[in-house]
Amino acid sequence: MESAIAVAGLVKTFGDTRALDGLDLEVSTGEVHGFLGPNGSGKSTTIRVLLGLLRADAGRVRLLDGDPWRDAVALHRRLAYVPGDVTLWPGITGGEAIDLLGRLQGGLDPARRAELLDRFDLDPRKKARTYSKGNRQKVALVAALASDADLYVLDEPTSGLDPLMEALFQDEVRRLRAEGRTVLLSSHILAEAEALCDRVSIIRHGRTVQSGSLRELRHLTRTSMAVETARPVTGLADLPGVHDLRSDDGRVHFDVDTDALDAVVRHLGGFGVRSLTSTPPTLEELFLRHYGEDLTENGLVRTPEAVRS
Amino acid sequence: MSPRGPALAGTGTLLRFGLRRDRLRLPVWVAVATLLVVTQSISSQTLYDSPEDLAAYRASIGSNAATIALAGPPVGLDTVAGAVAFEISAFVVLVVALMAMSTTARHTRADEEAGRTELVRATRVGRHAPLLAAVLLSGMACVVTALGIGAAATATGLPARGSVLLGASVGAAGLVFTGVTAVVAQVTGSTRATYGIVGAVFGVAFVLRAVGDIEGNGLVWTSPIGWAQAVHPYSGDRVAPLVLCLVAGVTLFALAVALLDRRDLGAGLVAPRPGPATAPRGLHSPLGLALRLQRGALAGWAVGLTLLGLVYGALAESVETLFADNPEARAFLPDAASLVDAYLATTLAINALLAGAYAVSSVLRARGEEAAGRAEPVLSTATSRTAWLGSHATMALLGSAVLVVLSGAATGAVRAAATGDVGQLPRLTGAALAHLPAVWVLAGVALALSGLLPRAAAAVAWAAVAYVVVTTVFAESLDWPGWVDDLSPLAWTPTVPIETLRIAPLATLAVVAAALVTLALAGFRRRDLLVG
Repeated sequence: MESAIAVAGLVKTFGDTRALDGLDLEVSTGEVHGFLGPNGSGKSTTIRVLLGLLRADAGRVRLLDGDPWRDAVALHRRLAYVPGDVTLWPGITGGEAIDLLGRLQGGLDPARRAELLDRFDLDPRKKARTYSKGNRQKVALVAALASDADLYVLDEPTSGLDPLMEALFQDEVRRLRAEGRTVLLSSHILAEAEALCDRVSIIRHGRTVQSGSLRELRHLTRTSMAVETARPVTGLADLPGVHDLRSDDGRVHFDVDTDALDAVVRHLGGFGVRSLTSTPPTLEELFLRHYGEDLTENGLVRTPEAVRS
Repeated sequence: MSPRGPALAGTGTLLRFGLRRDRLRLPVWVAVATLLVVTQSISSQTLYDSPEDLAAYRASIGSNAATIALAGPPVGLDTVAGAVAFEISAFVVLVVALMAMSTTARHTRADEEAGRTELVRATRVGRHAPLLAAVLLSGMACVVTALGIGAAATATGLPARGSVLLGASVGAAGLVFTGVTAVVAQVTGSTRATYGIVGAVFGVAFVLRAVGDIEGNGLVWTSPIGWAQAVHPYSGDRVAPLVLCLVAGVTLFALAVALLDRRDLGAGLVAPRPGPATAPRGLHSPLGLALRLQRGALAGWAVGLTLLGLVYGALAESVETLFADNPEARAFLPDAASLVDAYLATTLAINALLAGAYAVSSVLRARGEEAAGRAEPVLSTATSRTAWLGSHATMALLGSAVLVVLSGAATGAVRAAATGDVGQLPRLTGAALAHLPAVWVLAGVALALSGLLPRAAAAVAWAAVAYVVVTTVFAESLDWPGWVDDLSPLAWTPTVPIETLRIAPLATLAVVAAALVTLALAGFRRRDLLVG
């Protein structure tokens, strides 16, 4: 089995809304795959189709070599799921919910359960009614991580966790990868994907816009540079691949396309470089490149330019 | 900002917002209550249009303990208007009490449990404002219902003064249950428990007044429903009981405010205790989960229906007394023994209706779980759609069977003790069981709706229950074409013990129920899971 998840041309409509519009997703066995996109781009809908909770209108969906709609029960024995919005039974304690979900999935490891409860600092005796969003998320995380699965489907699992817990979560995902398990991690927290993922797929408006390893995707992005030179730099703006050039007090700041990096560094050499900082492209910038204009139009995310103006 | 102080700041805004949120549901409640009165008024005036008809009616009602237990005090039956009030007031009180309970709970505890109150209270809204706005909203709905009933009854030709008082008595009962709900919503931290406790209060109030009305003692004065009916519209036209209701409503509201001041936002009066850190052995399957989620409600229904069965059994003796004391009745009706059987047949049918209401609420629990997003984590495990919906269906079908048996056995046990005939226990338990296929058809309808039309399921399923209740209870007093009755599964159930038991209609009902369950499971397997 090469692919844990293989989705091609997936379409899902709700009334007039086309939530998924020909989405493709390929997750190899044993990798941690980031599933990225802004709110409302179709991440959770895709995951619900993968779990057989929603029926695909068109396209091909294979999960662990099965049909998630037809073989839902058999496939679910081999996967663990953390929903993006965890709702629990108000009168049932966290510990009971963990046991119930674990048993329904096919049994969980009591030692792992105890260890995870301890690490995530979760009181299992509290009724779910009294849990905060973060604690409800921990209940779902402990139930999923303590179960023995081939595939872990995690839908924005850290959106309610504090940074300390987020670091713990990252540890746990690395542990899963070391054990050879497959993880599909949906997120709009890019640092998380950067820290954990072997490959990412970026979706937007229900369609995949980019897919590949972070290194493959980085060549599409720009490196940010700040340079201090002995003599004022000239001619930089004329070089291809240089963007957003600005200077103050003898320092110049600019972004440069990866394939133009060599030429730019050679050019700078002629002005006596005193200091040079370069920031590798973050997924944040990759996002902005892909969504920047649209998001600005929608007023969802403001680009630095928009903030300044 | 309210001029009356910071604790009430924002009440007006919240009240307007409440009216906006309930712009559909409140008019429906008011319309149902008003239409019940209109229908009863028109049909009673047609049925009892001669003094002889009215006399015969009075005689049969005066000796029918089941009707008195169901309806209220048998007063004013010498006029058609009095007969209308007697026949319909208890049902309108039930409708208005449900309206008051759901409106008050929805805008207090339910909002608080969902976290919406927190959002609202973080703005310039006083601590008492959400509660006051909810109570005012429910109170306004009660007043509008009262006016609607008064106007509708007058318009159909009944005396104006009595009509206004009939409306006022119903509205006054609504005000008391608004107050009761406001208090209960402070005490418990859960919306579900609020509904359960207020429902139990209504049940106890109903039984107290039923016993009081049959025995003719002062027990009616312990029940807010008894107060409302003590107005005696069209005969006594008493105003004092209305004042009693109003004072009770205001006192309960003051109590609710006092309790609100003594608790934290989001909590009840009782602090939640820690529960078990691990799940018990039984909580390992979809059925185990369904049982866990529904056991509290089932236990409540079981206690209620058993008590009701005992009360019905005990009141059967009054049937004989009423019959002996009523010379008019003896001219119209057969011997006392068959009169007791007729009474028992009616009470068994009423218990079957209540078991049907349980079955529908139990089935709709599945849809509620799905809408709240709690089906998603379960169906993402190795749990099939069939097992998940089937487990809630099992709770509805077996649970309603338990309720039917318990209520029948309770009545049978009391009758066996009273008559010295042990055979009454199996006889009445069996007679109760004859209603089970009809109850299962109701459950099947709710299941099929949940499987095929999830968004409309709750509304349509409860409408079906209301239909069956109306056709069963008003079968004789309303002059409908036959097919209207025939659509109700209870119409196909032989009215044991007065009729002999026939298996064929029961088997047919069971087959219909099974077909509906199959349809539901097939529909649910084929559709998307719908959250919200």
